[in-house]
Amino acid sequence: MGYILSPEAADRLIASLADDCLVFAPKRFVGGAVFSDLDCIRYGEVKTAGEIVFDQKSDYSFKEILTPVCQALFYFTEDQIKEADAPEKGAVVFLRSCDLHAVKRLDDIYLNNGEEDYYYRRLRDRVKFVVMGCSEAFDSCFCVDMGTNVPEGYNMSMEPAEGGFAIDCRDAELDELLGSLADRECDVEPSHVEETKTRVKIPEGLTQDVMRSKIWDEYDGRCIACGRCNFVCPTCTCYTMQDLFYTENGRVGERRRVQASCMVDGFTDVAGGGSYRKKNGERMRFKTLHKALDYKQRFGYQMCVGCGRCDDVCPEYISFSRILNRLGDMMEEVNTDAE
Amino acid sequence: MLNNEYVPFLSEIKEVIKHTAMEYTFRMAYEGDIRPGQFFEVSIPKYGEAPISVSGIGEGTVDLTIRKVGAVTNEVFEKYAGDKLFMRGPYGNGFDYDDYRGKELVVVAGGTGVSPVRGVVDHFASCPDETQGLTLIAGFKSPHDMLFRDDFPRWEKTSNIILTVDADDENTGMKVGLVTEYIPGLELDAVEDAAAIVVGPPVMMRFAVKALLDRGFREENIWVSQERKMCCGLGKCGHCKVGDTYICLDGPVFNYTKGKFLID
Amino acid sequence: MDVNTKLIKKNAFRVTKVRGMTASRVRVPGGHLEAKYLGMVQEIAEEFGNGTVHITSRQGFEIPGIPFEKMPEVNSRLQPIIEGLGINQTDPGTGYPASGTRNITACPGNRICPYACYDTTAFAQRIEKAIFPNDLHFKVALTGCPNDCAKVRMHDFGIIGMTEPQFEPERCVNCGACIKYCRKKSVEALQRVKFRPQRNEEKCIGCGECVINCPMRAWTRSEQKYYKLTLLGRTGKRNPRLGEDFIKWIDEDSIVKIIVNAYEYVTKYVDPEAPGGKEHIGYIVDRTGFEEFEKFIMQGVTLPEKAEVFKPLYWKGPHFDR
Repeated sequence: MGYILSPEAADRLIASLADDCLVFAPKRFVGGAVFSDLDCIRYGEVKTAGEIVFDQKSDYSFKEILTPVCQALFYFTEDQIKEADAPEKGAVVFLRSCDLHAVKRLDDIYLNNGEEDYYYRRLRDRVKFVVMGCSEAFDSCFCVDMGTNVPEGYNMSMEPAEGGFAIDCRDAELDELLGSLADRECDVEPSHVEETKTRVKIPEGLTQDVMRSKIWDEYDGRCIACGRCNFVCPTCTCYTMQDLFYTENGRVGERRRVQASCMVDGFTDVAGGGSYRKKNGERMRFKTLHKALDYKQRFGYQMCVGCGRCDDVCPEYISFSRILNRLGDMMEEVNTDAE
Repeated sequence: MLNNEYVPFLSEIKEVIKHTAMEYTFRMAYEGDIRPGQFFEVSIPKYGEAPISVSGIGEGTVDLTIRKVGAVTNEVFEKYAGDKLFMRGPYGNGFDYDDYRGKELVVVAGGTGVSPVRGVVDHFASCPDETQGLTLIAGFKSPHDMLFRDDFPRWEKTSNIILTVDADDENTGMKVGLVTEYIPGLELDAVEDAAAIVVGPPVMMRFAVKALLDRGFREENIWVSQERKMCCGLGKCGHCKVGDTYICLDGPVFNYTKGKFLID
Repeated sequence: MDVNTKLIKKNAFRVTKVRGMTASRVRVPGGHLEAKYLGMVQEIAEEFGNGTVHITSRQGFEIPGIPFEKMPEVNSRLQPIIEGLGINQTDPGTGYPASGTRNITACPGNRICPYACYDTTAFAQRIEKAIFPNDLHFKVALTGCPNDCAKVRMHDFGIIGMTEPQFEPERCVNCGACIKYCRKKSVEALQRVKFRPQRNEEKCIGCGECVINCPMRAWTRSEQKYYKLTLLGRTGKRNPRLGEDFIKWIDEDSIVKIIVNAYEYVTKYVDPEAPGGKEHIGYIVDRTGFEEFEKFIMQGVTLPEKAEVFKPLYWKGPHFDR
């Protein structure tokens, strides 16, 4: 069912959603950016529609709700373990089409790659998704080329329209709430883009042989291995475990997991001092081929959703979309060398 | 009810077998199906977890041979028989005896790489009828670094055991040299059907596989076991991923036809 | 030719090497201006001067080769620049009312530079409004971060931007970037404790390297902007020296008050025999003792809770007069 909501009604909608669950949306953290007097747009809890940032791309993705940056798994004493409690409330997550498509990637790693992940499952089951329509693409977006521009499987859509908000609801529970708040009902379809300024073409004949390209070496010098590209990526899922104790005598502590990056030093370190992929160019190659080749080999579809956040965040102005577009040349180089 | 794979169980240390100052085998209480080559995540809460491969399987026990190289293993070495350790697992595929039954089998192992194959060697050395002959080429840095020294005399009764060290600094009279040196001279009835297992440090594995291929082994008859950083053992954390392969789920044991594509 | 050199100097004209020729000194408080004013400077230089402009070491323009008699015309042509740059003026159309207190200089600040902790130009303009016009010899400079590109320690009052890093542990992934960059580029005020950085508050200089290098926004800047105030650095013939840290984690209002207060002190204690009635404050403080100076400048100043005051202060530098 479609609805038009006034800004006040939208505030009431978010407020009543927030009664029963946590509402997460991109919001403005004033002065929260890297450089002074600039804001950061990232996910946080909202209580009103006015707090939700519709006209900018969030610097970090929604994944922080499903795969928290830092998540306690259990607490321990010397010989006892107590599982960390699940959040008391479920969540409603506002996100764009690219991110909604990223949920499928998170699901496949956490639910379909080996055993189900207990902690992911218990969060995932209690999340509803509200898609934020995109009337136009941002400069670095390339969702159309990655096939993620059209939202699928959302519970509700919401976007600014007619001085208020247009909503498409696919969820019976939410429908009930909206019926009482809406100015009027009408047909609504969430906006989506059909073209983007940034275009990406991943070559058809891409194989693992592309590893041998010399072009990767360029990134040895350019990349600083900070991991920002991974941390902002809605499809990166890696994490590392941490054990820590709270008290001096070390009897009580916690095991938690924190997001990890294959670009950052230490990611492949094994006990005893060995490590793989020491050069930054090798790490760039590893990440790129995960997004553009081997994930697809394993799961049958491309991993990258084309949100472009990695391009936006890179302090060294390394464009991931350009790397994807260079894969064709790299493949040609490798094939020519082989002849 | 969901199963929480992350929560470990407590297991009692039945026995501690000291091989070297750095390497002990902890014989842990464990009931359940295990294959050699699989691994457990062993943890001491507050120090963390470490993936440890199964080095032996007994009645109600599993052997975990641990090298003291980090925060967790340092702490494990403070434990004695009767103490308990947290574990979860087993994870990974492990070695499948059926891959080697009825064949001439050559096992090439270096250093702590002997641990994951010990179960395989022990099984086929105890059941010599199951293969057409077992050869173990095991290399250690020095006589001092030898693991499972008590096992070798037993295995020698039924199998061809070649023990070599990088340097015989104690003048024990042991063979000195790399494990690969013993591959060209292997006496085999039908090398095209013979099977081989290679486990050890990356460089040793690369040269051993090359020597086996040169000797006439077929790629599909060679198996390797890979070591990577493994945080979860569940195909989630991503640390052990190489190409489209998660070592913890799809391995750590790979047929070489697959293993050769695992390039970091 | 009759020229009152005392008066023209106060009017920001100079006695130059060339007899009969003066130079007009245009100040740019905070060193940042709309490009249109450059065109005006160009026109003055071409119409009244010798067609050249010197870019001064204090972020101004010195337009040489102007005949003394053209000063009134130049002053009227300077009017849009004086107004546009927000210079306090008593009589419109008569040029700069004073030139003793020097132009307040600033590094590019956070209008341009990623390291800067604040808008140096805006703060410079605020101080300009508070202390100009004034004939006393004061040098004030502002720099965005402890790199001190503006060389503020060579000034009577040096203002160095600081931020108090705010840490959100739940966003930390233990990547170690903050610790690494603090060690390599700053003062090694961070160390890893239980997978997280621990900040040595005493050692921290508020440069913001941790914030800049954090990939997670676990480190962010404090809402409140802080500064370090350095005192009584100077160049010159007798005893050039670097300014010493006076207050760390000071706020904007207190800085403005302190500088304004210092004028009272100088008015009272400046050597009446000093050539041109001008004397570096440092030499005055050398005579009265720092405590007297401090008593004056701290009048009515309420420092933020965080502020750390350093004293006694000792300056170094070579004494060529001894």
